[in-house]
Amino acid sequence: MSTPPSQTPADAPFVAIQGVSFAYPTLTGALGRQILTGVDLEVRRGQLVALMGGSGSGKTTILRALGGQIKPQAGTVMVDGQNVHALKHDQLFALRRRMGMLFQFGALFTDMSVFDNVAFPLREHTDLPESAIRDLVLMKLNAVGLRGAHALMPSEVSGGMARRVALARAIALDPQLIMYDEPFAGLDPISLGQIANLIRTLGEALGAASIVVTHDVEESLSIVDYVYFLAEGKIVAKGTPDEIRASELPYVKQFVSGAPDGPVRFHYPAPDYATDLGLGARQ
Amino acid sequence: MNRKLTDLWVGLFVVAGFGAILILALKAGNLASFNFSETYQVLAKFDNIGGLKVRAPVKSAGVVVGRVASVGFDDQTYEAVVTLALDRRYAFPKDSSAKILTSGLLGEQYIGLEPGGDTAKLADGGKIKATQSAIVLETLISQFLFSKAAEGKSDSKAPDSGITAPPGFTAPPVIGAPGGADASAGKTNDKSGTKGETKDKK
Amino acid sequence: MRLLIEAIGHWLIDAVAKVGYGARLFGLTFRHSGMAFSRFRLTIAQINFIGNYSLVIIVVSGLFVGFVLGLQGYNTLQRYGSEQALGLLVALSLVRELGPVVTALLFAGRAGTSITAEIGLMKAGEQLSAMEMMAVSPIARVLAPRFWAGVISMPLLAALFSAVGVFGGYIVGVQMIGVDDGAFWSQMQNGVDWKEDVGNGVIKSIVFGIAVTFIAVFEGYDSQPTPEGVSRATTRTVVSSSLAVLFLDFILTALMFSRE
Repeated sequence: MSTPPSQTPADAPFVAIQGVSFAYPTLTGALGRQILTGVDLEVRRGQLVALMGGSGSGKTTILRALGGQIKPQAGTVMVDGQNVHALKHDQLFALRRRMGMLFQFGALFTDMSVFDNVAFPLREHTDLPESAIRDLVLMKLNAVGLRGAHALMPSEVSGGMARRVALARAIALDPQLIMYDEPFAGLDPISLGQIANLIRTLGEALGAASIVVTHDVEESLSIVDYVYFLAEGKIVAKGTPDEIRASELPYVKQFVSGAPDGPVRFHYPAPDYATDLGLGARQ
Repeated sequence: MNRKLTDLWVGLFVVAGFGAILILALKAGNLASFNFSETYQVLAKFDNIGGLKVRAPVKSAGVVVGRVASVGFDDQTYEAVVTLALDRRYAFPKDSSAKILTSGLLGEQYIGLEPGGDTAKLADGGKIKATQSAIVLETLISQFLFSKAAEGKSDSKAPDSGITAPPGFTAPPVIGAPGGADASAGKTNDKSGTKGETKDKK
Repeated sequence: MRLLIEAIGHWLIDAVAKVGYGARLFGLTFRHSGMAFSRFRLTIAQINFIGNYSLVIIVVSGLFVGFVLGLQGYNTLQRYGSEQALGLLVALSLVRELGPVVTALLFAGRAGTSITAEIGLMKAGEQLSAMEMMAVSPIARVLAPRFWAGVISMPLLAALFSAVGVFGGYIVGVQMIGVDDGAFWSQMQNGVDWKEDVGNGVIKSIVFGIAVTFIAVFEGYDSQPTPEGVSRATTRTVVSSSLAVLFLDFILTALMFSRE
């Protein structure tokens, strides 16, 4: 099972997002809240990039744009030299087969066993005989350390294990681009370490471009090569993990140090406190 | 549940479902009877077909030998034209007669076929000449009452109290029935008779 | 006042948009039905889930409806001295109307809601999104097999309902009350036409199957990916399918059974 050779020369980025702006269109055609504004991003082959930012800053939206699930109003999304949104349906599906995505909380198919989940992309997209598929599935499960759990159902495995199964499924077709949507969310320290380690080693082993969307500072800064910082739909900072840790930008600083108040305010906008409690009138 | 077992259950379900459809069609319905025989068509004209419907049975000696295929109207002779589809297995003489009968007192109407004596048989497209129309209940009642009136008129000695319906027979009000009792005998009868007569002619 | 009109206007526009979206999804389901048949295993698994698991409720309901028809039918017919027509009454009621309609309503409640809930929860758990990202069309893999499984199962279930109901009517009428066995069946066989009555009943149940299953699949696919969203979607499935079945029943009955 061979993936088609990459069309991008070795030094050009595998993923290039330029000037992307996006807002969800409403029924009448008008635009809702602006999610992304003028985003520029690139990822090279073999590189592991982190997309960081607070909740609602638009990180997951970028992943969906990469996968062709949403179409930006402005800008281009290039994956392996192809404009994702200019592709026809069949070409888009062919491109998606070269991508792997790890969804938040796994998104395993609950009506199938662990084995069938990992076998799913193989069964759907290849004509391999069951014996070959069995070998491949067990190899992928072995890579994430769950070969012995292949007969279990998703409801029978823990959260961390489910995440690893989903990871095995994401790499089943040896993708050239792997996307991770909040892979560290809700995991215990041991599972966290396991997942972080897997993200690093699998990416290197496959030579794939990897993007991790997260707001877990500790874990991600320890494994990634480059970081992009998003706030309210804009890239506010980018650099290597060391540069980010040392950054003086207030937003980045608040995020990295975890300070409760800073550019991202603690208090949700509200009228004057005294007036709200009815004390103002008495004074 | 492994695949073989699932296939088995689904197969059973589908077979049971189709079986149910077949049972309904054969046992509850009339698929088994008649429909597969070849038929030939015969025309019959009636003055009045009453309540005869399409697909009503055509019976001879009480046995179903065909069905009414269609009902039409001839606007030259102002008669009803009924097309009978008769089972090819049974041939009837050319001079057979067709009567419209009712099954039971108030039941469905059907065509009764009575064979004649001709050696030549009815063929596809043939015509039945001898027909008897349906008996319309109202006409029957008024005829009966009229004949009763005529009877009463000729028998002048009878202390008649007017024309009455036979005991136990409740007929709807009909043209020609004077209804109530007429006290005076003899001469009154005359008048009532005449009344009945005139009204009947309407 | 103005707010009320605005609210009604919004609701109306949303409703019409939903109908349009539904029509589009209907077309898409047909277009993507190839996989449901080429990989028939998927559809078979769904027929098992939708059809086989509905057997108990359908058969038991059919039996009891047959019992009741026998009792009520006898009660009314014997007043006019027509008890012999009980078999005919039971069979026609079931085959023409009760079989297709009651089965469709029960089906909407049992199978329709489970389809909607399943698809809605798959959507909430991002399983449909995951499938899309793995270049597998969720419409082809998830929606179409369920749709065709429903369309195939409904007529079979309705026939089983009617058959069991006739049997139930027989038990009550002949065995318990004492209507004549021969008259029961012969009147029935004379009066029930396999094309007009049984055939039309089958056509009705196919139409109901299409309507109910599609509504179930659509509401699941269109649901909000939250617990409240899924619960509202299942409610809408039952309500919309039931109303659709009754409305279509009226239309079909008028088309099929009004002679002259």
